[in-house]
Amino acid sequence: MEGRQTYLWRIFATGACFALFGMGGLILGLLVFPATLLIPGGPGRRRARMRRLVQRALRLFVRVMTGVRAISCEFHGVERLGRTGQLIIANHPTLVDVVLIVAFTPAPCCVVKSALFRNPFTRGVVRAAGYISNSPTDEMIHGAVAALRSGDSLVMFPEGTRTRPGQPLRFARGTASIAVQAADVLTPVYVRCEPLLLPKFAPWYRVPPRRPHFTLEVGEDIDLAAYRGLQPPKASRLLNARLLQHFTERLGASRGYNAASGD
Amino acid sequence: MQTKDEILEQIKATLAELFELDPARITLAARLNEDLEIDSIDAVDLLDRLRRQTGRNIPAEDFRSVRTIGDLVEAVYRLVQV
Repeated sequence: MEGRQTYLWRIFATGACFALFGMGGLILGLLVFPATLLIPGGPGRRRARMRRLVQRALRLFVRVMTGVRAISCEFHGVERLGRTGQLIIANHPTLVDVVLIVAFTPAPCCVVKSALFRNPFTRGVVRAAGYISNSPTDEMIHGAVAALRSGDSLVMFPEGTRTRPGQPLRFARGTASIAVQAADVLTPVYVRCEPLLLPKFAPWYRVPPRRPHFTLEVGEDIDLAAYRGLQPPKASRLLNARLLQHFTERLGASRGYNAASGD
Repeated sequence: MQTKDEILEQIKATLAELFELDPARITLAARLNEDLEIDSIDAVDLLDRLRRQTGRNIPAEDFRSVRTIGDLVEAVYRLVQV
């Protein structure tokens, strides 16, 4: 058990990390990205450069978060992320998941909440990196399919939003539909956070009593061959049910994932 | 030039094939979402199929107000008119 001082430090460190994230987003979006426009190269090269930049910045950010002991984390199998046409799907217990996954995937594309395209701290980066908004649905699907077909690796959270603590996992079918249409490889990532930090509905300063420990485990690729020949609506329904079952089984085995509030 | 009846027949065949629906359920008054359980993801698949069939780039905005099979027939009819 840690002392009160350490606990207060973690509240401060968590808040400072939030501030750093916002600042980083602003600096990348407003200063660094416009500067990269000066370097020659077409829009495609520029976007790729921005994605690599975001990846390096987030890797540094992860190092800071662990360095100030706001969180600790471990990774298993991340060398299998970032293949051509790879759709990477992960569960979404906390706000930090996307940071960890993008930090350890070479220059991925990413489907992000549409609000990030309006948020002043994030809009510069998500636009410059050519990320895909999750709304409207048809544009998300067409954008994601085009990204995978062009060979990008793409990160998606099939839940569409952070997990509702203590409730059964729910997947929106869009991810399965995109996978069947365009993914060369479909790779699951199981994210665990114990105790839970920054879940849905919790304010940032309510940090758990112990330091949150993240585990990112890259699972075996999921074979899509069985779904390819079916009509799209049926294929995406079957695959979605399979993915949901798969994640529920894998995560159910881990203590703490559903230990709702962590207290 | 296709008549509305022909368009309805074509839509019936498409829906029956894509969603394995009983063609008898596909009436002009049937609501896509409530009666036929076609959600927004299905709608994307359906539009992609209609685009291929009609050879026209159907703008998604034209279909945002579509609620029933009747609306869908009207929307396709307007498109193939021009």
